[in-house]
Amino acid sequence: MQEKAQGQSILSMNSIEVLYDNVMLAIKGVSVQVPKGGMVALLGSNGAGKSTTLKAISGLLKAERGHISRGEIKFDGTDITEMLAQKRVEMGICHVIEGRRVFEHLTPDENLTAAAPMGMSRSELSVEKDKIYDYFPRLAERRNSQAGYLSGGEQQMLAIGRALVTQPSLLMLDEPSLGLAPFLVAEIFGILQKINREEGLSVLLVEQNALAALEIVSEGYLIENGRVVMHGTAEALKSNSDIQEFYLGGGEGANFHNVKHYSRRKRWLS
Amino acid sequence: MDWVFLSELAINGALTGLLYSLFAIGLVLVYKASSVPNLAQGGLTMVGAYVVLALARDLGMPLWLAIPLAAVVMFGLGFGIERVALRRLAGRPVVMILMLTLGLDIFLRGTTLAIWGGTSRSMELGVSYEPLFLGDIFISRIHLVGAGVALALFVAFMVFFRTRTGIKLRAIADDYMASWSVGISVERGVGLSWALASVVAVAAGVIWGEIQGVDQALSLLLLKGLTVAVLGGLDSILGAIVAGIILGVIENVGAEFLDPLVGGGSRELIVAAVLILTVMIRPHGLFGRHDIERV
Repeated sequence: MQEKAQGQSILSMNSIEVLYDNVMLAIKGVSVQVPKGGMVALLGSNGAGKSTTLKAISGLLKAERGHISRGEIKFDGTDITEMLAQKRVEMGICHVIEGRRVFEHLTPDENLTAAAPMGMSRSELSVEKDKIYDYFPRLAERRNSQAGYLSGGEQQMLAIGRALVTQPSLLMLDEPSLGLAPFLVAEIFGILQKINREEGLSVLLVEQNALAALEIVSEGYLIENGRVVMHGTAEALKSNSDIQEFYLGGGEGANFHNVKHYSRRKRWLS
Repeated sequence: MDWVFLSELAINGALTGLLYSLFAIGLVLVYKASSVPNLAQGGLTMVGAYVVLALARDLGMPLWLAIPLAAVVMFGLGFGIERVALRRLAGRPVVMILMLTLGLDIFLRGTTLAIWGGTSRSMELGVSYEPLFLGDIFISRIHLVGAGVALALFVAFMVFFRTRTGIKLRAIADDYMASWSVGISVERGVGLSWALASVVAVAAGVIWGEIQGVDQALSLLLLKGLTVAVLGGLDSILGAIVAGIILGVIENVGAEFLDPLVGGGSRELIVAAVLILTVMIRPHGLFGRHDIERV
């Protein structure tokens, strides 16, 4: 069963531990599988270790003086645990980092150009750009204005488009819904789903907005305190009463007198 | 006031100013591609001039060969600086990198002093010292040549920053982390910007070496170059050109009026005043990028 699951995974991350500055243990043995062509979400609260997990996969840990102290990460069967970030992008892993971070002083069009692999020809790049502008028509309208002045939603679209130029087979997004109006989140998630369907792009999504995320992914992992505390299909997670209560803001209704609330949460964190 | 005299001051000031621009382009290149102020450009310019002399005088090469070869050597040196010194500091506070470039400048000065000594050597480009006459106005030929070189480099780099490599360099200056995330080699980009700045240093070193001789004083151009770069906006090549002309004219015309009043030496004062006032009144200079804050 385990063997079979690994065979279909584009990404398999096994008991990864990450240390920052050689002292702070940010994640403590996280294992995550992303099936080929699948959409997976990492859920959890602030500081749970979701972003660190993504950085371990993309290799951006190094820029923040973190490193993987245990475990291994395989991408398409290749061990990438020690690989340079740039090499991982070439292999097809692209990480849309938190906070959009578009190149503000460049135009959207230049943002896309900047991300183009050196080997991509001019005509390939323009085909690629057209495809991205088709997915995100709002960007096409503003392709020659300054990216720093785009709206938050447009910047998020640009950040995703910029990642797509690198021709990833695994796209990782860190909190793409952050600070965006619900209709924009729906629009962006809809586009992600469309790209996933049309191009078979595998997606690993980090979200605090569990409600929106569970609508588009097929499975999810719940991370708390640097550990995976729950893993299941989106359906299973949605119907789980703990998830409903803590992350979807509902369930049996807010019952403040329910002491079980605390003990249940404690059970994961221990 | 005599208009011919005034325009002579202005034109020669503008030409000298373009020579400051030639120097400042090196500063701007590094800032534009890595958001790091390059305080080593003075040292690099001096080394550039010395390398040309070493190839031309000591090895007996003709200048037309020595100058491009020096450019190649300096291109390699620029990459080396990134590899050896700057790479370890990528992502660290700018202040530390600033100090590093200053240390580099001192190191380069010390190295040239140790190898070639302190006596001034002449470049002997073979440009005539006979002034050109534009009507009644005297113009120095070497200044005209240098201004031409500055403008040629300006055009070349304007084109370069629209190419894919140039856009990647500008992206690096905007955001290291985001650049890494899409597979841009930040290290190689920063190295390239230093390599290009070092090539510009050869051009500036040759022209300024011809004008004032090749010695330690070449590295003092940093003060004027920095003023021009700041006035133009640290990341704008167009700014470096325009600011160079402005500073050159203000300095030349201003000194003519102020020198009799203060008994000489007002050039330095004017330059310092321009630098200080720019930072106080318009910190991003004439054409520099603003930090974008959306409301």
